[in-house]
Amino acid sequence: MNIYSLLRNLAKSIRAQNIFVASKEMSGIHIFKNTINFSRVQEFYLSWLYSYDMIMRDIIVDKISEKVLTDELYEDSYLLWRRENKYKEENKSQDNKKDLYLVSGKTINFPKRM
Amino acid sequence: MEDRIQEAERIVKKMEKETELSKIEELIKDNKISFEHNDKKYRTRLLNLAEKEELDMLRRKKFGQLIKDKDIFFEKDLIIQYKEKGIDIEKEIDAKIKIITAEEFDLQIKLGEVISKNESETILKNYKEKIEQLRLQRNILSTQKILLLTYSLECALESFVYQIITYLSSEVQTENGWVKVFKSLEDFQKCEDEKLICKLGSYAVLLQQL
Repeated sequence: MNIYSLLRNLAKSIRAQNIFVASKEMSGIHIFKNTINFSRVQEFYLSWLYSYDMIMRDIIVDKISEKVLTDELYEDSYLLWRRENKYKEENKSQDNKKDLYLVSGKTINFPKRM
Repeated sequence: MEDRIQEAERIVKKMEKETELSKIEELIKDNKISFEHNDKKYRTRLLNLAEKEELDMLRRKKFGQLIKDKDIFFEKDLIIQYKEKGIDIEKEIDAKIKIITAEEFDLQIKLGEVISKNESETILKNYKEKIEQLRLQRNILSTQKILLLTYSLECALESFVYQIITYLSSEVQTENGWVKVFKSLEDFQKCEDEKLICKLGSYAVLLQQL
């Protein structure tokens, strides 16, 4: 197994995920000894901690099954689809919102009640 | 009895996995990586600002030397030369890679969608096989391109940068604390311990933001 796969395995371990969640909620908990100047592998690891956190949340709310965690390709593909889908949804909601935008500085004359 | 053997195998596998993970934890605990080699403790670390400036200076100097060398060509010029000799990298490799990458992306999106719908393992495996075949084709093409452009100026400069990073970031533990392994770039280039260079180099590259 290559080093990057091992880092991904570590990032998806329950222990690593617990520390990650705790570090987000408590300022005294750090993932690394250094709190600045992250190395390339540290940044890679951090990005996978975030990605697995997202996957785990989706598993918890039953959006997907744990099967996704059995293969890196499944994980990658799901995250890619999730990102693309979110992007599409955001675009769609932006389009829908277009009609609701108010132009600042313009007075709207609402019809008077009879 | 068979159950006990299976259980023992499962425990051993789990222990191996945990040992592997704790080893990998060592690589990320901070921005340094230490290891032992011939009874000495070595480490590579993230370059500091002064060292990054030295790296930039040496890289510029090397670029100046390479650009004057008439036997070394830029990638784009090598591509033209290959084309004249009947090897069209853009058409035969780049264009194919682009098509394969687009196909792979589409399949991955489809695979992601079927995962979100909790489809059966058979469907997932079917997509997986197709994607893996595409990846294999793309890797073959990428390797072909890398081999064709090995002697480009860009490759020469990249290889030099890796050498500088290794030379600048390598330290050995002594009674006086951590000191540089190599006094100078020449000292590094003369080093005959290939195993040590290889270890220092691979760890150094893992750490640096290039």
